[in-house]
Amino acid sequence: MKALETQGISKGFAGNIGVKRIQALSDLNLQIDQGEVFGFLGPNGAGKSTSIKILLNLIYPDSGRATIMGKDVKEKEARRRVGYLPENPYFYDYLSADELLWFAGRVSGIDKEELKIRADMLLHKVNLQKARSRHIRTYSKGMVQRAGLAMALIHNPDIIILDEPMSGLDPLGRKMVGDLILDLKSQGKTVFFSSHILTDIERFCDRVGIIVGGELQLMDTLDNLLKNNATLEDIFLKVVETAGGGNEA
Amino acid sequence: MIVLWPIAAITFKEGIRDRALYGITLFALSLLGFSLLLSNMAPRDVGKVAVDMALSTISFAGLLLVLFVGINLMAKDLDKRTIYSVLSRPVSRSEYVVGKFFGLCLLIVAVVVFLSIFALLSILMLKLSYPNYFEKFAWSLVILAITFEGAMLILLSAISFFFASLTSTSFVTLVLTVISYLIGNSIRDVKALVESPAAAGIQISPVMVKTVQAAYYLFPNLSLFDVKIQAAHGLPIPLNYILLLLLYFVVYSSLVITLAALIFRRKEFP
Repeated sequence: MKALETQGISKGFAGNIGVKRIQALSDLNLQIDQGEVFGFLGPNGAGKSTSIKILLNLIYPDSGRATIMGKDVKEKEARRRVGYLPENPYFYDYLSADELLWFAGRVSGIDKEELKIRADMLLHKVNLQKARSRHIRTYSKGMVQRAGLAMALIHNPDIIILDEPMSGLDPLGRKMVGDLILDLKSQGKTVFFSSHILTDIERFCDRVGIIVGGELQLMDTLDNLLKNNATLEDIFLKVVETAGGGNEA
Repeated sequence: MIVLWPIAAITFKEGIRDRALYGITLFALSLLGFSLLLSNMAPRDVGKVAVDMALSTISFAGLLLVLFVGINLMAKDLDKRTIYSVLSRPVSRSEYVVGKFFGLCLLIVAVVVFLSIFALLSILMLKLSYPNYFEKFAWSLVILAITFEGAMLILLSAISFFFASLTSTSFVTLVLTVISYLIGNSIRDVKALVESPAAAGIQISPVMVKTVQAAYYLFPNLSLFDVKIQAAHGLPIPLNYILLLLLYFVVYSSLVITLAALIFRRKEFP
């Protein structure tokens, strides 16, 4: 059984008056195995976040089907074992990290004792134990990102979806997130993450997919791609150029 | 349905800590203080004025709460995409709407109870100072009027949720909720007027009569919840009126929230 799968997903968004419909995804077919770390690459506006939002049922595909551990994403139970960190996360201003974790843990169905143990452990890991009682509105961007990571992991999910997890982090924060991804990998978790930072992809991923203009252009293991001394940057630029895509955003 | 409580709890906490709420509460307490001052300066019909001022203060502060804190609680989730952190969990869109509504109901109850304590204290102080003006006064009527105000505010919140599920901006939700509030408070009188135009010496077209009648059944009849005059004058309210109104409140609120949840199921969050 695949951890994550999309079958022929297409999605368009209606443009404003006078602007034609934008095709965000066309016939996207992805299969992510259990326990693999998958890097989803693409220029801005390529369809990375749209794909993730379809996997989480935040938006609906025009056609095709998406599943998590074999369950259709339309079923809420499909999301029970999933942890998600959105790009530029924004949380409730007047809640503390402790309250956020309580909320995320309770709606994910973990009991109070486990919730307390995991909250302590995760807040320590993301270095927020001193700020855990402060309101989120007093946090820096990096602290919000780290609180979001703790929130994504509070229920010990098997599948973790991270949308630009390094965004807004300083070098220390990036190292912390990197270590966290490696830790998840060593635990056999499935990690699906999108990033612009190619060195991060090279460092963590087993397999990568490159999407340009809503179409998946390439999907292969990193070992295959990087043999013959090729660099991921060269491959990425070549794929984008071949597909005729660029930085649209 | 186990997810409803955590959603309601964070909605309540987010609302109760909103700085706009402190402003509204401070304003309401100032109004109550002013009413005390006014009654002491010009002691005429103190009983009626005290009850009317106390109930009007709760009503107005509650309205501000629904319009400027309540609507924002959901609108901010949509505007700033906080909703991702809820819907990416095993939570359905319907559960999100219902949980959020329960949270707002808790907030309304908490604020109304808090303001009521001060409102009742202000009445008590005047009652002790001017007992002659409180001969027909009944605490039960005042408490019933406050309960009805709370119910009206919850019903108005349900309507704001319905509009929030239809629209994409909080401003449109605010405008539609205000319009519903105004119509809901005047529709009974307007219906009475258009159905008996001769009494007012005017002519109304049949189309207008039908339109007003349709609006009467479509919009909530919020004026039914306003029993300030009865409470101020010590006029008893029949039990069957109370029971029917509570039934109306439960049925209308449930219906509107169900509709909001159904519409929300189709909503996307790109």
